[in-house]
Parts: sequence; structure tokens; C-alpha cells
Amino acid sequence: MARSSVQLAGVAKQFGSTVVIRDVTLDIAPGEFVVFVGPSGCGKSTLLRLVAGLEQPSAGAIHISGRDVTHEHPSKRGVAMVFQSYALYPHMSVAENMAFGLRMLGTPKAEIATRVTAAAQTLQLEALLDRKPRALSGGQRQRVAIGRAIVREPDVFLFDEPLSNLDAALRAQVRVEIARLHARLGATMIYVTHDQVEAMTLASRIVVLNGGRIEQIGAPMDLYRLPANRFVAGFLGSPRMNFLPARVAAAGEHGVDLEVAGETLRIARRLAARAGDIVTLGVRPEDLSLAHAQDGAAHNGILRGEVSLLERLGGEALIHVTLRGTQAETLVAKLAGDVSLSARQPIALKLDGAACHLFDDAGRTMT
Amino acid sequence: MSSRESAGFQLRLRYAVLIGVGFVMLYPLLWMIGGAFRPNHEIFNSIGFIPREPTFEGFTKGWRTSTEYTFATYLLNTFAIIVPKVIVTVISSVLVAFGFARFNVPGKRLLFALLIATILLPKSVLLVPQYLMFREFGWLDTFLPLYVPSAFATEGFFVFMIIQFMRTLPAEMEEAAVMDGCNSFQVLTHVVVPVILPAIISVALFQFMWSMNDFLSPLIYLSSVEKYPVALALKLSIDVTEATSWNQILAMSTIALAPSLILFFAAQKYFVEGITVGSVKG
Amino acid sequence: MIYGGRASGLLYLSPYLVGLAVFTLFPFVASLLLSFSDYRLQDALSAAQLVGFENYAAIVHDRTFGKSLVVTLVYVFVTVPLKLAFALFIAFVLNFRLRGINAFRTAYYLPSILGGSVAIAVVWRYVFAGDGLINQALAVLSANPVNWLGEPAYAMVSIVLLRLWQFGSAMVIFLAGLQGIPADLYEAARLDGASHWQVFRRITVPLLTPVIFFNFIMQVIQAFQEFNGPYVITGGGPLKSTYLLPLMIYEEAFKYFEVGYASALSWCLFVLVAVFTALAFRSSKHWVFYAQERGEGGQ
Repeated sequence: MARSSVQLAGVAKQFGSTVVIRDVTLDIAPGEFVVFVGPSGCGKSTLLRLVAGLEQPSAGAIHISGRDVTHEHPSKRGVAMVFQSYALYPHMSVAENMAFGLRMLGTPKAEIATRVTAAAQTLQLEALLDRKPRALSGGQRQRVAIGRAIVREPDVFLFDEPLSNLDAALRAQVRVEIARLHARLGATMIYVTHDQVEAMTLASRIVVLNGGRIEQIGAPMDLYRLPANRFVAGFLGSPRMNFLPARVAAAGEHGVDLEVAGETLRIARRLAARAGDIVTLGVRPEDLSLAHAQDGAAHNGILRGEVSLLERLGGEALIHVTLRGTQAETLVAKLAGDVSLSARQPIALKLDGAACHLFDDAGRTMT
Repeated sequence: MSSRESAGFQLRLRYAVLIGVGFVMLYPLLWMIGGAFRPNHEIFNSIGFIPREPTFEGFTKGWRTSTEYTFATYLLNTFAIIVPKVIVTVISSVLVAFGFARFNVPGKRLLFALLIATILLPKSVLLVPQYLMFREFGWLDTFLPLYVPSAFATEGFFVFMIIQFMRTLPAEMEEAAVMDGCNSFQVLTHVVVPVILPAIISVALFQFMWSMNDFLSPLIYLSSVEKYPVALALKLSIDVTEATSWNQILAMSTIALAPSLILFFAAQKYFVEGITVGSVKG
Repeated sequence: MIYGGRASGLLYLSPYLVGLAVFTLFPFVASLLLSFSDYRLQDALSAAQLVGFENYAAIVHDRTFGKSLVVTLVYVFVTVPLKLAFALFIAFVLNFRLRGINAFRTAYYLPSILGGSVAIAVVWRYVFAGDGLINQALAVLSANPVNWLGEPAYAMVSIVLLRLWQFGSAMVIFLAGLQGIPADLYEAARLDGASHWQVFRRITVPLLTPVIFFNFIMQVIQAFQEFNGPYVITGGGPLKSTYLLPLMIYEEAFKYFEVGYASALSWCLFVLVAVFTALAFRSSKHWVFYAQERGEGGQ
């Protein structure tokens, strides 16, 4: 299967007066697994459909394997799509479903048979080839949908929220299968999801979209550790990053002193902040830990409050804390599963200054 | 009485009403079929429908009819009209419905409103001008005026019914077909039509039934007796035979209804499905 | 799913566009023109002269038309409510977890399929004949026979009953409508302590109003176009007591060849039906309750 690149240059799309995609420029290298992720309505599905050719861009150009395909029919772009609802043809058997695209292309029967058999083997569908879709389970149908795409040997695979219709257990399983498929075929894949777990685990690069714009592109861990703005920071990671409003008391070579939740904390990093700035402090639940007596007094990143809710998940526990201070902000901390705490117990949490994020009033990460 | 007793009583009352009404409803049909198997003098003598002296006389004499053609001619004429009519209705309705359901054509709203309006339009208004038009074409006394208009989706009800069915189709299925390389016509023939087949069968069945019952159109367009469909032949038979061979007339009526009866029993669910989708869900 | 290509769309619609123009719009306008002419069927079209409102003036003075109009209105306003009421009633009786519900539904629906045929009209003539089925039944009940088809007062009954006999199609639609009412509504009402009558009045009927409206419109339009029954059974008589408008239009055009007059008559019928339909639609805003917005799925 060819490894192909995809380029979007200045792509925009509007339906009537509603702008869904604003000026997206993106280069996808051959063999990459790129995930478009974002909340509902961010335009990720529309972007995928533009690459597929099911929609025409209002502006911009799309290139696949160096060819300008902006005005090409979907079947001539070298792409294959796996739909959210599988979109199998109900009156055709599994084998006929997989063969249909090749039949339309005029591929010789022998060739079709070979490819269908091969794809069926890869996806363990051999026993099901003569069945109709209504006789298959959800997971099986999903595999047929994937098989239909494989058979066409496309340059680029497109996945439109393929796991959304599956139950949780199946989702984890098929996710792994898709990852293995990518490793095996090495093809370029573009994958759309609203689920950040799928994005983190499957992607070689993630494209975070919001309101039709790209917020950030990068490898999963890069986006996780170094989010470019508050939106990306809050989107990736579960449970979500904690955001606390703060005021810069002082800033200099030593770092930044913040007034937050009735405490004063020091972030020991040089940041482009000025005294008096209103900022947002971001800290991930796993970067909070229980403070002990020896952690000393103020200035070293301690937040105090009271436990409002405990969620024990077994290996870990999520502690909801209501902080001291007039605003009564809440935090979620991720601690060890057997931590001995109870509701309404006073608690002091320590944060790691290096792992904190500071966002300016426009939501951008301060550096 | 206790609530269980009253529930039982209610149930029995329901059954009583249903059976009673059903019996009264079907009695004329039973009487007709019974009368077809009776010798003439027996028909008006009793209210029962089971013949005392069953005979095929009504059928054999009735088949020969009092015209120079047998009933076979009339049956064949009926099918010569209805079969093409059903075929062209199905084809044109599917094509037009697809156009409405899947394309944004300028003025679509107006055209659709007109489609609904034609369903509500009394046909008497168009009767005479259509006749004159067909006369100008030279189509009088042929079967053409009876089925050619159907090739142009003039019966809006069928188009409407198919549009409703098409609306229930998942868009992604057709998108997959597009991705697989189909143009719109290939999507229609390879994917859409097989999936909406029940609706198409309903359309065919309804058009068959309605056309079997159509009397006015053959009446005004056909003048040669040899071209008469069953409807006209039956009317002819009661004009000609005034007080005599009822059993023949009833026998031929039974035969005239036989195709509809058979088709109805064979395909009941399509009828019910068709009506309800066209009306309740529409 | 919308496909691109307006040209393709127009191509798919083209049979309809041609049909609309040739077989509907053109005759529609032509019939209006003809109604203002003195055209007779056997003449060449070129011989027709425009005569203004002469035909319409003649209609106003035409006793036969007056009779036909009255007869038609009586027919429509008697059969439609009766048929709908009966169809609704049977649908209610049937809407129960009964055994054999399909058999009953078939039995009631069958007459709708056959009823519009000439065969049934022919049979009906004998059912109502002097020594036909109805009078036989009356004899069994020790009542006197009635001269159904010979008495102006009774002839109408025969065609009214023919139409009522075909209530099955309306009933099937009502049944589907009844079955479309979610069971949870009934359960919730029952839990709230509502009586059967209250449930019927406040849940069933309001939710049925769209179906009732649909059936009502369809039945009225069909009733105004009834032709087979009067033509075959009574010939419009006796004394024009069953001379429905479609029959009159037919006879004026094809028996008396007065095409201009017949066209004017047909336009009167059209206007009558159109006004009625418009009124019905307007009134529907007040009594038809749509439970869900169009275009929403699920819920």
C-alpha cells in the first residue's frame, strides 16, 4: 500500500453563512497516523469529508500524493473511508460489500477475489463472508467496514469516529486492532474522534480543532506536556486539568509569585509575566500530591482546603477539594488508590512548579 | 363485577363487535361468489350464500359473454393496460422521487408543493382537455392514454410515498457508495433501489389495484369492444342482459375481482406498510 | 445526502416536469378556457368561440345543476363523517392485544381494495335490487322490502353504503396512528389517576388529530370525485337523486357533447373542493396538534 502525503492549504468551508472551517493549513507526512480531535461542532468531521471529497472546500486546495485533488471525485483521490455507522450495504453479503468498490472500478474478478480474501484474513472475517450485515454484531460490522477500505488499497485511510457506536469494552479492543493495522500496513491514516483517549493512544500526531481552527498540532505527549493554550490543556488529559484564577504578585528572575485561592505560591520558572497580571494557573490532577509537614510554609506551592468528595477507582483515587479563600474554588487531585482521607477532612496539596502552566488572559500559555 | 370480570366482558364485547361487523362487511362478497356458482333461478330466492345446486353454468356461459369475444379477451386487455402502467409508474416515480429527495434543484419547493397539490386536485377538471389532447394525438381507441401519463409521474401519491421512504435511508450508506466510485445513478440502482424495494412493491401493488378499478378512463378513450378491459365488459354485460343471467354476471364479477383478491392476500403487508408510511409518518 | 449537479437533479425530475406541464398544467388552463367557450365535442377545435361567462350564467339557472350540487354535498357530508367515525370506532375496538387482529384487519380492508371496482358496483346493483340481498335480509327480519333503486329517497342509500363499506383503508390508517401513540403516555396518565374517558379525551384524541385531519382531507376529496357507483348502480337516477357532479360533468361532455358547459361545471367543482380544502387547512391550526416538530428524529 502506498504511503502518501496529504496537504491542506488555506482550506475553508462554509455552509450558507455558517463558517465551519476557517483557514486550515496542514501537512501530513506519508505513513503518519493523524488524529483530528475536538469538541462537537469544531469542524473535524467536515475537515475529513473535505479530504474525502464528500464536500467541496469554499477556499483553499487539497493535495494527496502531490496531486491536486481539490475538485476530484472521491473515488479518484486514492482515499477510502470508514464511517461512524459503518454504512454497509444491507442487501449485499460481506464479500459483496467489500468487493463493491473494486467492481465499480472495473477490476478483474480474480483480482477482486484475491484482495477480498486477503483483507478478510487480516480482519478475521473469513467465516462471515457470505453473511448479510444484519446477521453481524457491531464489532463485526465495523471490521467489514474497515475491510471494505483495505481492499481498495488506498493511499490514505479516513476514519470518521469509527468507535462511537461500539460499547466500551469493544471500543478498547477495536482501538488496539486499528493501531495494529496501522503498524502492519504503514499507510497514512486520518482519524476523527471527540474522544481524547483515542487521540492520545492512536496518533503519531494530534490536530486539536476548535471552532473551525487548528489550536495546536503535535505528538500526543508534546501536546500533553506543552499545550499551546488553555483549550488544548483542558481538552487532553482525564480528569481535566485544574484551572485556578490567579494574580501575579511579583515576577522576576526567581520566578513568578502568584496569589491564588488565598495562598501565595511561587512558580520557579522565568515567565513573561508582570506584577498585577490576571492569569490562570493550570495544574493537572496527577501533578498534585499530599503536602507533609516538612514541606514548610508558604511560597513553596501549597494549596489548602477541605475534601468535598472522594472517588476511589481502585488503583487511584480522585479527590475533589474545595480550596480555602473567598472564591471557594475546587480542585481535583489524583492520588494513590488507598490514600487515607475522608470527606470534610482538611487537606493540603503540594504542586510541582515545573509541571504547572500559566495562561494569560487570552488563554495562551505563558513562556 | 370485579375488574377482571369486566375486563373479560369487555374483551368478549370487542370480539362480538368485530366478528359481527366483519361478517356483515364480507357478506356481499360471499353472496357474490355463492351466486356465481348457482343456477340463475336460485339467486334471488334465498339469503344464504351457499348454493343448493352448485353449478359452473354461470362461469361457462359468462365466459363466452354475449359479445363476440370471450372474457379471456377482456382479461388480456386489462393486463395489457395495467402491466405497462405499473412498470412505467414504478420507474418514473423512483426517478422523480430521487430527484426531489437528493438534489437541490432551483424551485424545488414550488415543484414539490405542486406535486402535493396535484394529489388533492379533482381529476374531473382535467378530464375533457386531456381527452381533446389525446384526440389531437390520434390516440383515441388505443391503450396509450391509459398508461402514458403514468410514465411521467402524474400520480403524485406514489412519488410522495417513495420520497418518504428515501428520507429514512441513512446518508452514510450512499456516501459510502460515492466513495466506492458510483455516480448518482449508480447509487440509485445499486444501493437505493434494493433497499427501498418494499416501498416499490407497495407502489406497484397500489397502482395495480387502482388501475384494475379504473373505469372512467377506459370508458372515454376506448370505443372498440375488442379493446375493452374487464371493467367495461362487465358494465356492458349488465346493460345488455337486463333481468336474466345474474349468475353469469356474478361469475364474471368474481373473475374480475380474482386478480386483486389473489394479489391482496399474497402481499397484504405491503399494502398496510405502504398506506401507513405514506400517511401517518408523512 | 445531497448530490451535486443541478443538471442531474433536473434530469431526474424531467419526467415529472414534462408530465406536469403536458398532462396537468396545460389541461388545467385549457379547461378554464373551454369553460368560456361554446365548444361542442364533435366539432373541430377551431370552430370553438369564446362566449364569456355564458356557461356560468347557465349553470346558475340550471335546475339539474342545482339538484346535482345538493345531491353531491349531501353525499359528501353524510359519507365522510360517518365513514371516519366508523373507521375510528373499529380502529379503537381493534387496538387491543387481540388474537387474530390481522385477520380482522384484512377482512375490513378487503372491501376498500375491491370497492372501487365496477365488479362490486355491479354486485351492489343486485344487492339492492327488488329481490336482492338487502330485501332478502329485511324479509328475514319480517320487514317490508324497499324499492331501493327505484325510489329517489332510497337510491342515495345504496351509493352511500357502498362508500361506507370501504371504510377499511381509513381504519388501517387510524389503527397505525393509534399504535403510534407511545404506551408510556397511557401509563403515566393512569398513574396520575386519569379515567378512561379522560385518557381518551386528553391523550388519544389530541395525538390522533393529525391522522384524523389527513384522513378527513383524503376522504372529502375522494368523495367529491365519486363516479363508478352512481354510473353503474343507479345511472344518476331515479330523477337525478344520485346525480353526483362528476357524473353530470361526464354526461354533459360525453353524452350531450357540451364541452364548454362541462368545463364550466368542472371548474365549479374544482373551486368547491379548493375552497373546502383551504378552509379545512385553515381550521386545522386550531384543532390539529402536532406532537413533534418536523425534521427531528427519535423523541
